[in-house]
Amino acid sequence: MRFSFNWLKRHLDTQSSIHDIAQKLINIGLEVEEVVDSEAIFSKYRIVKITEVGQHPNADRLHICTAIDGTGKEYHIVCGATNVREGMKAVLAMEGAYVPGSDITLKRSKIRGVVSEGMLCSYAEVSLPEQNDGIIDLDQAVDLNEHVSTVLGFDGGILDVAITPNRGDCMSVRGIARDLAAAGVGKLLDISHTDCKPTCDFPLDISLDNIESFLNYMPMLALRVVKNVKNGESPVWLKNALSIAGINSVSLLVDLANWYMIDTGRPLHIYDLDKINGAFGIRYASRGEKFIDLKGKQHELRSDMLISADSKSPLCVLGVIGGDGIACSDDTTNILIESAYFNPSAISKTGNFLNIVSDARARFERGIDKESCISGLDGITSLIQEYCSGDASEIFTLGSSPSDSNVITLHYDKLISISNCPIEWADAICILKGLGLTVCKESDKSVTFRIPSWRSDLLIEEDLIEEVLRIYGLDKVPDIPLKMNYSAHGRGEHKEKLQINLKRLLVSRGLSEIVSYPFIKKDWADAVRENKKLIYVVNPINSDMNTMRPSLIPSLLSASLRSLNFGDSCATIFECGHVFYDDAVQQTHVSGIRVGNALERHWLNKVREWDVFDVKGDLEAMLHYCGVEKMRVEASAPSYYHPSRSGTFICGRKTLGYFGELHPRINQLFSINQRIMCFELIAEEVLSFEKKQMAFHSKIFPSITRDFSFLFAETASIGDIVNGIYSLDSIVSNVIVFDCFNIGEGKKSIGISVIFNALDRTLNEDEANNLSAKIVQYVASCGGELRSK
Amino acid sequence: MLKSELDKLLSSCMFLIDRCVSSQELEQAKVATLGKNGRVTLMLKGLKDMEIDQRRELGAQINSIKEQVLQRLVQKFEELSAREMETRLSSEFVDISMPARDTYRDGRLHPITKVHEEILEIFANYGFRFVDGPDIDDEYNNFTAVNIPEHHPARTMHDTFYVNLLADDQGRKLLRTHTTAVENRALRLHGAPSRFFTIGRVFRSDYDATHTPMFTQIEGVVVDKDVGFAHLKWLLTDFLRKFFNTDTVNLRIRPSFFPFTEPSIEVDIAYSQHKGKITLGSGENWMEICGGGVLHPTVLQSADIDSQLYRGMAFGFGLERLTSLKYGVPDLRGYFESDERWRKVFGFHGFTR
Repeated sequence: MRFSFNWLKRHLDTQSSIHDIAQKLINIGLEVEEVVDSEAIFSKYRIVKITEVGQHPNADRLHICTAIDGTGKEYHIVCGATNVREGMKAVLAMEGAYVPGSDITLKRSKIRGVVSEGMLCSYAEVSLPEQNDGIIDLDQAVDLNEHVSTVLGFDGGILDVAITPNRGDCMSVRGIARDLAAAGVGKLLDISHTDCKPTCDFPLDISLDNIESFLNYMPMLALRVVKNVKNGESPVWLKNALSIAGINSVSLLVDLANWYMIDTGRPLHIYDLDKINGAFGIRYASRGEKFIDLKGKQHELRSDMLISADSKSPLCVLGVIGGDGIACSDDTTNILIESAYFNPSAISKTGNFLNIVSDARARFERGIDKESCISGLDGITSLIQEYCSGDASEIFTLGSSPSDSNVITLHYDKLISISNCPIEWADAICILKGLGLTVCKESDKSVTFRIPSWRSDLLIEEDLIEEVLRIYGLDKVPDIPLKMNYSAHGRGEHKEKLQINLKRLLVSRGLSEIVSYPFIKKDWADAVRENKKLIYVVNPINSDMNTMRPSLIPSLLSASLRSLNFGDSCATIFECGHVFYDDAVQQTHVSGIRVGNALERHWLNKVREWDVFDVKGDLEAMLHYCGVEKMRVEASAPSYYHPSRSGTFICGRKTLGYFGELHPRINQLFSINQRIMCFELIAEEVLSFEKKQMAFHSKIFPSITRDFSFLFAETASIGDIVNGIYSLDSIVSNVIVFDCFNIGEGKKSIGISVIFNALDRTLNEDEANNLSAKIVQYVASCGGELRSK
Repeated sequence: MLKSELDKLLSSCMFLIDRCVSSQELEQAKVATLGKNGRVTLMLKGLKDMEIDQRRELGAQINSIKEQVLQRLVQKFEELSAREMETRLSSEFVDISMPARDTYRDGRLHPITKVHEEILEIFANYGFRFVDGPDIDDEYNNFTAVNIPEHHPARTMHDTFYVNLLADDQGRKLLRTHTTAVENRALRLHGAPSRFFTIGRVFRSDYDATHTPMFTQIEGVVVDKDVGFAHLKWLLTDFLRKFFNTDTVNLRIRPSFFPFTEPSIEVDIAYSQHKGKITLGSGENWMEICGGGVLHPTVLQSADIDSQLYRGMAFGFGLERLTSLKYGVPDLRGYFESDERWRKVFGFHGFTR
């Protein structure tokens, strides 16, 4: 809602400044988005007449102008506008003036060596829509002594108020004035229209079938015909008022209806009577029926939308938007005015489906004054008669205004216990009366109020408490510490904390965390889908964001690509986020990528690329952190991994995570040339593990180390053999694979160092020798041939 | 024995020692003088063939020479070791201006995680239980249960993303538009009295310079018999004081509208801005930071909580805004753009508390 301060003053008798009004609006819950204090802004502006235009001595494109203001004072101004001319009336910003359009304050300055005593302004510079090129060229009739704010149509200043969806009544200047009056910043003025006396019967044939079927959609309808009106161009004040409200001027009749809607909150629709073919009807649209709105956009209607129609076609989607065919034009002489009350949710549904946002819809769906059908019709008629003359008919009505006028009882105790404020009972009652509520029944500690017809948002006692509290002032609410209750302290966030610690673990391993959107391109999701069913966003922002990711890998790849394209030598990133698939399965994954060079080029570093064992380490470190001990690695992974360079960590029957190099087809899809290493941890599977406390042994005994060198087939799984050696004897305290190289002929040489250590005694040579022999025997049974010991 | 002979012994020993230039040579000199067959030792050995008187006198003299030689040896040893140490050290020169070893890639924690952790800590200390809910939720939890009926204008204001899963009796499946969607579930689970909070991602179909289709919300609820606005005001103020680590948090509480709270409030925080740097606590500017209010009786009722007996105070914050205010992150979109340069500036090291 954008309107001028003077418009507000038509309804509110107040001495407060525009800033005080704005402050009060904020305090009572009407959020002010913009205040233009034009009187103050334009106090250093003058309307001037240009008496002389000369050439700037040092610049071809600049002029030196002489101008006089209303007091006869002369100004010398440097001006670059091409439209500047002698005799022109223009707007001068003097020294010290704030120029809102360019957000600067003018200082006395020389322009190319010539002093300029101000600036001649363009519309853009005073934050107005452009009306002509160059500087403002005012009408010659403008008086030089008038205030610039008035001449430019700021009308005392501008307020822009954001209205919450519950306050349909405040989508009008009158409604805002009423709230302000209740808050004590002025007196609500009575506005009465001159009565309009009908001079003829309602002349139109109305065709109505099955009225009951639509009385729920439209409980009441009132129609009136006005003949012999004179349409035309709107007066300046009206154009100005609408321009501030952000509404284009169309013609006098349309402008008056729009102005009346903003003034009172009552939307009306005006049909050009002579464009109606045959009988005027109200009916539901037929399914798929075509309708062209007044902006020329075609819609397909549904059978649950109520429309007005003539014998040929739909005229108007009631309560939402008018049609192209029956709009008023300059030569309109006879009109039909529609004033109705609609079920808010019906209008919301229709508007939503057609995707039409109109001023009428915005008001109807929030709820307008239920009892304004007739008064609104009378109000607009007298306004039309005042500006366009015309002969009004009797009113045709259908249905009745909903009479479910609400009563609500407010209990003083409840008011106090919710607000914790020392509000006087009498003050509370007074506040509600000021908002238009009337007392039906009063007792010592409770009052039953009748709710006015324009406040359909007030339904329960809490609504009344809110009304009292917002006018009384929330700033008066005291601070009372919440009683501490430690029963739930530290409960439920274990999983959150573990996730954060896993993130810190990865950060310590050199990976950086990203957070990305869960909806990705379908191609990307397909590439990592496996046999999962994908979930799609029905109404995505764009087609690149239409599929819920079944894995975090595509998001990480796209972020890596970004880094690599920036010229980074590597990308090492991870994300902890949700993946989605099948029937709303949501899983938390912690996944990461290492691509590119493992270390920066550096005089001390040997450059190498990340490899499978870097990411295996990442995954293993997380699993160890979570307390997973008995896990095994299988040489298999989802099909987007390199089949010979990937693995899966498994514990019991649970799959905990994958790691490895990605399949070259993924490289192709993302246009990444380097080999990509990645890991995926399925967090839900590991968060339940308990970390076991390790035993501490205060006495230590010397250990014995034995090194072995074995020959194996190239494909032998050394990890399994290492695990096997561990389980040979409890004194095997550590097994280290210190060497591995292929010697050709399908063989590899493996160096293994085994450390023996007992917790309760010093080992002797015999024990070590016996165990060494056992190891050799075991490895031999796994196909390993001893080369040396 | 002649005195001259003794003098010669002394001077020859001293000569042997003095001419040494390395500790190795000095070791040889030591052998040649005081060793088993060294000059001084031999001289002392020769004493046994002498008369007792002569032996005593000469013995004392030779021993004095031995003492002097030993002293010189020690002195020379120290001298040579010092010189040798000096030589070794200077030969071990490295150019310490060369770049240091760079074994580690530098990882960064996302600021959302950092702040998530901070908030987790604060609310846990108030005795709030952490609750969770799914990102893909349904119309019942996201709207109906929290008093946003079908065709209410507030529903369309949410710009909801819907997904292609089959609708059931809880309505269509959607990406939750606010963390308020966890309330019904949590209220059913924990009943009354209870206090709980959640932190999670929410989604709205809004993408421009100041909106991203995903952001993070923090939501908390206290259900009890005697809670009112004053408690909510205290809680929000105290939380912000703890979060921003300052005693001077200046708040403005305004009436507002949310379908799930009645009365509803919005909270603005005072700040001043100087050369782009934001300072909280004072100043003429207000920034919206939080919404809240008394849970609408319908919300309690839809979780089978007696709304005559119990009252709920609820509040919600936008996590990115809190983060931006505390750590000076300039614009919302950066959070989700995965830019390495952004991470270097706004990310956190693993070891930051």
